[in-house]
Amino acid sequence: MRTRTAMTVMLAGLMVVGACGTQGETETTAGDGATTTTGGGTETTAAPAGGSTVRIGYAGAPADFNPGVGVLAEDYIFYDLTYDTPIGLDFEGNFIPELATDWSVSADGLTWTMTIRDGVTFHDGSPLTAADVAYSISLYRDTADFPFLPTYASHFVTVEAPDPTTVVLTTEAPLAAFEAQMVPMYVLPSAIWEGVDAATFTNEEMIGSGPFKLAEHSQDEFVRLEANQDYWNGAPNVGEVIFQTYTNSDARVQALINGDIDMITEFPATAIPSLRNTANVAVADGNYPGGRLADIMFDMIDPANCPTAEGGVCTGHPALRDVTVRQALAHAVDKQQLIDQVLLGLGEPGLGLVPTSLGNWFASELVPEDYAFDLDLAAQMLEDAGYVDTDGDGIRECPTDECGPTGDLTFRLNYPTDNDEHPRVADTLSGWWGEIGVAVQIQGLDSDTLTSVCCPTFDYDVILWSWNSGIDPDLLDVLNCDSIPSGYSETGHCDPEYDALQQAQAIETDPAARREMIVELQRMALEQVPYIIPWYYPRIQAYRTDRFTGWPDQSPILQLEDPLSLTVISPAG
Amino acid sequence: MTVWRKLLRHRLGAVGLAMLAVAVLVAIFAAVIAPYDPYENVRVSIDDIYQSPSPQHLLGTDDAGKDVFSGLVYGARVSLLVGFAGAFISLIVGGVIGLVAGFKGGRLGNGLMRFTDFFLVIPELALQIVIVAIIGQSLRNIILVIGLLGWTTSARLVRAQTLSVRARKFVERARAVGASDLYILRRHIFPQVVPLMLANAVLTISLAILAESTLAFIGLGDPTVISWGQMLNFAFTRGAVSAGAWWALVAPGLAIVWVVLGVTLLGNALEDLLNPRRGRHFLEPEPAMPAEETVGPAAERGAPAVLAVQDLAVEFVVAGARMRAVDGTTFSVRKGEALGLVGESGSGKTTAMLAALRLLPPGGEVVGGSVLLGGQNVFALTADELRDVRWTRMAMVFQGAMNALNPVRTVEDQIVEAISLHDPDLSKSAAQERAAHLLEVMGIDADRGSEYPHQFSGGMRQRAMIALALACDPDVIVADEPTTALDVMIQAQILELLKKLQRELGMALVLITHDLGVVAESCDRVVVMYGGIVAEQGTVEEVYSDPQHPYTKLLMEAFPDMEDPDRPLVSIPGLPPRLDRLPPGCRFAPRCPAAFDRCQVERPPSYVLSPGREASCFLLESRQVVGV
Amino acid sequence: MRGRLVLRKLGWALVTLVVVATFNFMLFRVLPGDPAKAGLRDPRLNQEAVEAARIRFGLDKPVFVNLEGGSPFDSQFFRYIGSLAEGDLGTSYAFNNRAVSDLLGRALVNTIWLVLPAQILAIVLGVVMGLVAAWKRGTAIDVGSLLFALFMWALPTFFLAILLLFFGGRWLGLPTGGRVTLGATYESGWEQAVDILRHLLLPTIGFALVLIGEYLLVMRSSVMEVFGEDYIQTAKAKGLSTIQIIRKHAFRNAMLPIVTLIALNLGFTVSGAIQVETVFSWPGLGKLTVDAVSQRDYPVLQGTFLLLAVAVIVANLIAELVYLRLDPRVTEV
Repeated sequence: MRTRTAMTVMLAGLMVVGACGTQGETETTAGDGATTTTGGGTETTAAPAGGSTVRIGYAGAPADFNPGVGVLAEDYIFYDLTYDTPIGLDFEGNFIPELATDWSVSADGLTWTMTIRDGVTFHDGSPLTAADVAYSISLYRDTADFPFLPTYASHFVTVEAPDPTTVVLTTEAPLAAFEAQMVPMYVLPSAIWEGVDAATFTNEEMIGSGPFKLAEHSQDEFVRLEANQDYWNGAPNVGEVIFQTYTNSDARVQALINGDIDMITEFPATAIPSLRNTANVAVADGNYPGGRLADIMFDMIDPANCPTAEGGVCTGHPALRDVTVRQALAHAVDKQQLIDQVLLGLGEPGLGLVPTSLGNWFASELVPEDYAFDLDLAAQMLEDAGYVDTDGDGIRECPTDECGPTGDLTFRLNYPTDNDEHPRVADTLSGWWGEIGVAVQIQGLDSDTLTSVCCPTFDYDVILWSWNSGIDPDLLDVLNCDSIPSGYSETGHCDPEYDALQQAQAIETDPAARREMIVELQRMALEQVPYIIPWYYPRIQAYRTDRFTGWPDQSPILQLEDPLSLTVISPAG
Repeated sequence: MTVWRKLLRHRLGAVGLAMLAVAVLVAIFAAVIAPYDPYENVRVSIDDIYQSPSPQHLLGTDDAGKDVFSGLVYGARVSLLVGFAGAFISLIVGGVIGLVAGFKGGRLGNGLMRFTDFFLVIPELALQIVIVAIIGQSLRNIILVIGLLGWTTSARLVRAQTLSVRARKFVERARAVGASDLYILRRHIFPQVVPLMLANAVLTISLAILAESTLAFIGLGDPTVISWGQMLNFAFTRGAVSAGAWWALVAPGLAIVWVVLGVTLLGNALEDLLNPRRGRHFLEPEPAMPAEETVGPAAERGAPAVLAVQDLAVEFVVAGARMRAVDGTTFSVRKGEALGLVGESGSGKTTAMLAALRLLPPGGEVVGGSVLLGGQNVFALTADELRDVRWTRMAMVFQGAMNALNPVRTVEDQIVEAISLHDPDLSKSAAQERAAHLLEVMGIDADRGSEYPHQFSGGMRQRAMIALALACDPDVIVADEPTTALDVMIQAQILELLKKLQRELGMALVLITHDLGVVAESCDRVVVMYGGIVAEQGTVEEVYSDPQHPYTKLLMEAFPDMEDPDRPLVSIPGLPPRLDRLPPGCRFAPRCPAAFDRCQVERPPSYVLSPGREASCFLLESRQVVGV
Repeated sequence: MRGRLVLRKLGWALVTLVVVATFNFMLFRVLPGDPAKAGLRDPRLNQEAVEAARIRFGLDKPVFVNLEGGSPFDSQFFRYIGSLAEGDLGTSYAFNNRAVSDLLGRALVNTIWLVLPAQILAIVLGVVMGLVAAWKRGTAIDVGSLLFALFMWALPTFFLAILLLFFGGRWLGLPTGGRVTLGATYESGWEQAVDILRHLLLPTIGFALVLIGEYLLVMRSSVMEVFGEDYIQTAKAKGLSTIQIIRKHAFRNAMLPIVTLIALNLGFTVSGAIQVETVFSWPGLGKLTVDAVSQRDYPVLQGTFLLLAVAVIVANLIAELVYLRLDPRVTEV
C-alpha cells in the first residue's frame, strides 16, 4: 500500500496488526499454514492499575472507530488496543494465539478449525464466544462497503461456529497464509452489530474484548483509553493511555523533552542527536511491522496491455520499456548515499518488494546480484544499447524515432508532496542520472493526482513513492498482469510466467517450497527492474525512561504503541 | 524624477528602498555571492547535517547538509520572482477590473464590484491551498494562483480612484465635448490612477511574497526550487527545532521579513508622497511662546479693549522653511464693538485669531507680540489657565460649521459639554436647560438639540455653532466666514442674528470675512489685512468712504457700490503674495499702481492718521498724526 | 429608513451566501481528481467499496442537471443545495460516517478558543498603541510603534509561531501543543486555569502579535485623521484638555475604521489560524482545512468554506450594525 506521512492510509491486511500476546506464552510457531499451535498458559498477574497514565504523542488522529471502514494507520492503533483477533503476531514476526488457542487444517487443506478461548468477555461484560468470531469474519467477508477487510475474509466459503469454542472455516483452494488472514479479523460483539448498518455504524463506544477500553475521544485532539481490568490475559500495568495529536514533529519532540508526554511514535531522524543528549529519554530503532519500503517505479507498460477501458492512456517514455535502460538507471542509484543523506544513515539498502523485516521471505541470497552503483557502467550500457547523445546537448537520444521529436531520454519524475524526503531524493537522482545523459523533469503532485496519473492511467515516466508491506510477501502481486486494469499494478509489468508462479505460491502450503517460489519471483523482478527499491525504512521511536519501564525496544519490530508494549510497561519507581 | 528625490528624502522610504535593492542585487548576483551552489548535488555525510554556523558555513547547514547562507542567497531569486510576477498579475487583473468598474459605472461597474465582494468572503489562503494542492505545486502554478487571487485590493483601489477622477470637472468637460473613452482614459484617468497603483503594487509584492512563503510552509511550495518559505518548510518538517538548529529557521524567516519590511516601508513612503494625508493634527504639543513681555498699553479709545492684539507675529514652518504669516499686526476690539477683519485668503486674518486663542495648527508658531484678553496676556498663561480662558473670554465660530461639530454627538450634548466644563457646579439639567435656551435664541427648536449635526441644514448648523459659541457667555466672539457656503437668504439671517446678539449681550464681535458687503452691514470698525500685515484700519464709514491705502482703494473699487451701481468694477491685477516669497519692501508693492522705489526696499510702518485710524503706506507718511 | 437599510443588508448577505455556496460546489467539481476515491485512495482497495461509496455520496448522479431521466433536479448540485437548505452539510469522505456539521462544530469551538483571546489582546493593544503613536506623532514613541507594527506585519505568521515554539518550548518549557495537559488531575480550579493559560500562551501571543501590527497601523492613521478634524479644534477651543478631547471626541470616531477592519480581518484571521494551528497542533478550523485538503475531503472543505463565508458575512453585518450605532451619519452604504 501507499503510505503518506501525515495521514497514512493503511491497508489492513498488508499491515501487521500486532495483536496482544502474553509473556507467559508456552510456545509459538512461525506462520506456516499447517502447524497446530497451542497457547494460552500462565497469566502474569496484573499490577494494580493505579492512576498511572501513559501519554503518547503521535502525528495523526483516528477517523473511524468502525474496524470495517477504517483506512488510516491511526485507526488501526485503536482497533488493536480495543479488539482481539483470533491470531496475533509477536515482535519477532511469529504468529501467536490470541482468541484462538489453537488451529489446524484438514488433510485436503480446505477446512480450518480454530478453538476459541473460553471465558473471554467483552467490555460490556457479555461473553465472547465462537459465534462472535464467526459473525465477525462473515461480516468482513460480506460487507461490500468495507474497503479492505473483505479481501482477507473472502477466502472462506463458509464460516461456522458449531459450538461456543469452535470455529470452522472452509476454502475452495488450499490457503498458504491462513494465519496472516486471521490477524486483522477484529472480533466484534454480534449482539451489538447485528442491530446496526455495519457500513455506516460509527461505533463510538468500541465495545471489544481487548486490553484497553475507549474512554474519551476528541477529534484531532486526543483519544483516552482505560485499562480493561477484566482482560483475559490480565489487566495492563497502567491505568490509562492517552494518545495526543501533535501534527508537528518538532512540537512532538519538544513535548517529550519537556516531559509533557511519555512516548512519541515517530519523529524526524534529525532529532536523534538532541534526543540522545536529553536526560531520561531513550531512542529506539527497529522495523515497521511488515516493513516499509521506498520505491522508484517505471512506467514500462506494453501499449498492447494498456487498460484503455479503465482510462489508461499509457504515455510512458518508450525507452523505459527497454530493460537495459532500466538496468542502467538502477546502476546509477547509490542507495547507501541516499540513506545517509535522507535518513541520516538509518535504514537498510533495499532489494525488492519483500523487505528484510519479513525475515525468511526476504531473498538474502539475491543481495549480491543487486545493481552496484557504477555510473561508468551505466553510461556504457546505454551507449551500447544505442542511446547516444547525437546532438551534443548532454542528453542521450533514442536509437529509434518513437521517442518524440527530440528523441531525448528526458523523463518526467513525480512524487507525492506529502512526504518530506522525496524532494531530496528527486534532486539527488537527477544529478546521478544527468551524469549518464538522462534528464528528468521533476514535479511533486499530491497523492490523489499522483494516483490519477499513475494507475491505471499510466500517464507518467518515473514516480518516487513508498509501500507498506504486509506480514505475508503478497506485495509481489503488484507485478501481476491481472493487476493492470484494477490500477493495482503501477508499472504495467506483465509476464505470464511470473503470474503463474505467483498463483502457485498462494496455494503452496509447504513453507520451504513456497519460499523457493517467492525468491524466484523476487529474482525475476530484480532482473526486469520495474522498481528500484532504494531503502527499507527504519522505524524510530523515543520514550521517557523516568516515567515507565519495560518498553520492548529490543525486538526487530518496533511498535511501542502496540498492545504488546502497552500491556507490559509499568510505572517507574 | 521628483518622486525619486522625495523618496530619498523620506527617511523610512529610503531605508525600504535600500532594503529592497539589497535583496534584488543579491538575487541577481546570487552566483557570485553564494559560496556554494545549493542546486548542486554534493555528497554529504551525517555530520554535515544541521552544522552550526562556522567560517565554512556562515549560517550553518540545513537538514540536507547544504549551506544555509547559499540557500538564502539563491532563495532571494524565487521569492522575488514570485513577489514581482504575482503582483504583476494581480495588478493587471485588478487594474482592468477596477478601471472598467469605475469608468463604466452603472450596472457593469456594480456587477463587477459585487463580484469582487464575493471574493472577500472566501478566505484567500484556504482557497490558495485547495487550488495549489490540486493543480500541482509548480512555481508557475503558485505564481498564477497568488496573482489571480490577489487582485481584489487593486480592483477596489483603482475603482475608487477612477470614480473620483471621473467625477472631476475636466473629465466631465472632456466627455461633454465628445472625447473618446480611450482618450479620456489615457489623458485623464491613467495619470491620476497610475501613481496610486504604484504604491499599491509595492504592497501587493509584499503580500505575494508572504503568500508564497506561507504556501511553501504548509508544504505546497515548489519543492524543486529553493525559496525562503521552502527552506523554512524543510527546517520545520525535518526537525530543526528539536535539533536545536535555530539558524536553519531564523535565517530564511528573517530574509522574508527583510524583503517584506523593505517593500512595505517603500510602499508606505510612496503612498505618503503620492497621496499625502492631511498634515493637520490639532493635538500636537504647542511650540514655546515668545519669551519677552511686550505688553504695551494699547491705544485707548474710550472703553477698554476686551481683545488687544499687539505686534503679533506668527510663522509657519513648512518643509524646513519658515514663513511669516502674520507680521506685526496690531488691532483691538472693545466691548460691544463689531470688528470686521477683511482680506484675501492667506492674508493672515484667520491665523491671527487662531493665534489669539493659541489654536495654531501644527507648524504654526507665535514668534512675537502679545494678545491681551480682558487684560491677560494669553501667551503667558499656563496650560490650565489657558483652558479656563478659552470659550469664557473668547469663543470662536469656526469656518465650515459642517465639520466643526462632532458628527457622532448630539448638538445639545456638545453645547452642554462646554457649559459644564467651565461651570462644573452647574447641574446637568441646568446646563441642558441653558443649551436649549441658547438654541431657541438662535431660532432652533430646542427638541432638535437631540439630533446630530448631519440632520441639520447648513444654516441651522451655523446657528447651532453660534449657540455653542455663546455657551459660556464669552467677552468676544470670533466668527470666521460665518456665511460662506450659505445661500443669500440664510446669510442675511445669520448676520442679522449675530448683530442682534452682539448688541443685546454687549459682546465684542470679530467677523473674519473677505466680503466687504458683510462688513459694511454688520461692523463698526474694519481691519484690512494684506500679506500678514494690517494695511488699513478704521471705522467702517471712514474706510469705506475714504480709503487711504492703495490696496483698500482697489478693494473698494472692486466692491459694488449700492449707491452708485453703475460704477465699473475693477479687479486687482496680480496675485496675493506667497508667504515663502514675500517681497522685501511693502507687501503690496508688486501689485500697487502707486508703488515707487522706496516701496520695493523698505517696509512702511503703520501711520496713525487719526485715533483708531491707521494705514501702512509711505504715501501717508506725511499725514500721520503724532502724539495722539 | 434605517430599518430598510438593515433589511437590504440582510438581503445582500443572503444573496452572497447563495453565490458562495454555488461557487463552493463548482470549485470542487471543476478541480481534477475523483472525490470518490478520497480517503479510499488505495488502488488495492475493494472496487465494490469504491462503487458503494460513490452511490452513498451521490457521486453517481449527474453534476448539475439530471438529463438522464427522472427528475431534472436529481443531480449533485440540487441535492447539495437541497440539503444545505435543510442545514445538512453532508457527510465527510475521510472521517467516514461523520457529519460535516459535527466536525466543523468542534473545530470552530477550538478555533474560537484560540482566536478570541488573541483578537481581544491584539485589538486592545493595537488600539492603545495606535492612539498613543498618533498622539505623540513624530516622537520616538511614534516611530518605535510604527516600526514595531511594520515589523510584525512583515513577519510571516507561521514563522513567528515557529520561533515561539522554538524558544517558548525550549527555554520556558511551555507546552508545544494541545489545549490542556491530558490526564492531569487538578487540585483546584485555579490550577486548571493556569494549565489552560499555559497552553494558550504561545499560540495566543503568536496570533496576537501578528494581528497587532495592522490594528496599530490603522488606528494610528485613523486617529491622525480625526486629530486633523475641525471638531477637534472646536473641542480644543472650548477648553477641553487633550485627554478629554481624546476620550470624548477622538476615540469613538477613530474606532470606526477599526470596527470595519475587525470584520474584514476575519479572512486574514482564518489564514493566521491555519498557520498557528498547524504549528501548535491545535484541532481547529485551520487544521481541519489543511487536513481536508490533503485528504481531498470535499464535503468538509465545502462546509469549511461555507462556514467561513457565513462568518465573514455575519461579521460584516455586525460591523455595519455597530457602525450604524456608532456613526449616526450612516443611512446608506
